[in-house]
Amino acid sequence: MITGRKGLISSALFVFFLAAPLTAGPKEKEEVENCLSCHGDKSASFKLPDGSVQSVYVDAEQFARSVHGTKIACTGCHPAQGELPHPEVKAKTKAEFAASFKDLCKSCHFENYTKALDGVHFAVIQKGGAAPFCTDCHGAHDIAKPESPKTRVSDTCGACHSDVAEVFGKSVHGLALAKGSQDVPVCVDCHKAHDTADPKTTSWRLKTVDACAKCHTDKALMKKYGLSTDVVQTYLNDFHGMSASLASSGQSPRVIAALCVDCHGMHDITKAKDGNSQVLQANLQKTCAKCHPGAPKNFTDAWLSHYQPSPKRAPLVWAVGVFYKVFIPFLIGGLVLQILLHLWRVMVNR
Amino acid sequence: MTDYAVRFSKKQRLEHFVVMTTFLLLALTGFPQKFYEAGAARFLVKIFGGLDGARLVHRVSGLLFAALTFFHLSAAILSTLQHKMKMTLVPDRQDFKDAVQQLRYYLGLANEEARFDRFDYRQKFEYWGLVLGGLVMIATGFILYFPMVVARFLPGELIPMAKVAHSNEGLMAFLVVITWHIYNAHLAPGIFPFDPAIFTGKIPLERLRHEHRREYDRLYGSDVKTAEAAGATQEPAPEKPAPADA
Repeated sequence: MITGRKGLISSALFVFFLAAPLTAGPKEKEEVENCLSCHGDKSASFKLPDGSVQSVYVDAEQFARSVHGTKIACTGCHPAQGELPHPEVKAKTKAEFAASFKDLCKSCHFENYTKALDGVHFAVIQKGGAAPFCTDCHGAHDIAKPESPKTRVSDTCGACHSDVAEVFGKSVHGLALAKGSQDVPVCVDCHKAHDTADPKTTSWRLKTVDACAKCHTDKALMKKYGLSTDVVQTYLNDFHGMSASLASSGQSPRVIAALCVDCHGMHDITKAKDGNSQVLQANLQKTCAKCHPGAPKNFTDAWLSHYQPSPKRAPLVWAVGVFYKVFIPFLIGGLVLQILLHLWRVMVNR
Repeated sequence: MTDYAVRFSKKQRLEHFVVMTTFLLLALTGFPQKFYEAGAARFLVKIFGGLDGARLVHRVSGLLFAALTFFHLSAAILSTLQHKMKMTLVPDRQDFKDAVQQLRYYLGLANEEARFDRFDYRQKFEYWGLVLGGLVMIATGFILYFPMVVARFLPGELIPMAKVAHSNEGLMAFLVVITWHIYNAHLAPGIFPFDPAIFTGKIPLERLRHEHRREYDRLYGSDVKTAEAAGATQEPAPEKPAPADA
């Protein structure tokens, strides 16, 4: 913890040094020009011990356009390469060479770097598998702002997860995204960008409700599309929502109650009124039967379709609720009054 | 030494014990499901080993409660039909008069308390509250236990209706118990800290005379001395001094 004046000065100095390289001055420009005198050549490459040829070409224009282009110079990311001749490359293969750059982003982007260490991709890397780390998604010399436009995110993830990307592209969110909407969620809005967790775990599945709720309880956002923000509360009022919210207490239940995605679909989610929608009244019996095999037709009416009970919608449920809202205070009030009268009489008699 | 009268049979004491235990377990495993957002709800569910554990306890206790209610009511109906039992728990006009008299006494409008028979209007109210409320809980509980079966024959809307009714009726029963029952059986002046009659089956004669004067007079005559002569003993008499009740 930084305290007192001394701490204040040192933190100010720290911020100063941190900020210093973020504005490219003449010194940085000179450095970039120096490096590009070799690396600007398209044929710039060297041979790795396994015989493969590794290019070390950097597109000058591309780098200048990148987010770092006007802010940091080459040694900002490649500090060891400030000396000539460059230190010997220890990597034996192209993969090893790429892996050696893994930590370069850490010194500036420490938070996202550590988050990525908790991510599912890094877990794969640690097991020796192929999975992306910083530059595989963000690029290296061509880094741009990640969500401008948002389609870049789904394109980036889709490069590896093409099957999911294709399904998502046809969903209500994917179609809107393709039309340029910046409101719809893309991969990282639900899965997170850096601390991407394994989506097959129970604890992750239970969190999907929060992911949907983030946008679908946002009044201003939902108004734009004429959607109800009651969807989460009405779900929680139902048996399924209540069960799901208690599923993380103690040992998780044998069967997790239906979550948003179990009825609406996940990457293939459609408008509720779409003909193919799993939640369309006509398709509901089939959707219920996924967990309740042999569900009779009437069974679908047990679900109130995200409506709050009212005299028009589910009048029976509404009436019973109103009855108790009146009767409980009336009854308990009467009993408490009689208790108080009794106590008063006992006191007066003394 | 205090003299006692027998008030509750072994069967009745056992019934009370089963109702008390199942009621407590049902409340402990039911309320976390009603108030699922509360921290205490998560704590309670964890104690029962997670949601499946809590639901298992809830369903087993519910089935036990339903079985007890069924046997209690069938036995009561049967013995009444066979004239083995008087309907001492059925409310009548006297209860209405008693209630008015008692409230007048509380308000200082009457000088004397009402003289009650075997069960006063408050006890009858609680008994019928339990029976009728219990029937609502059993019916709605079964709808929630077997929603697929219900939907085969009845409208599906009954299922969310049953959920609203079950959770509210349960809350009401719980509130009646923690106010009315706890007051009358534990906290009321003269009773505090505990009325053991339903567990021991006996009640001191002095209390019987005070709280159930009409029953006392009927059993022992209006004179206290005759009561002793009538053979009230320290131990429960082998023969019930009062008829069994529903």
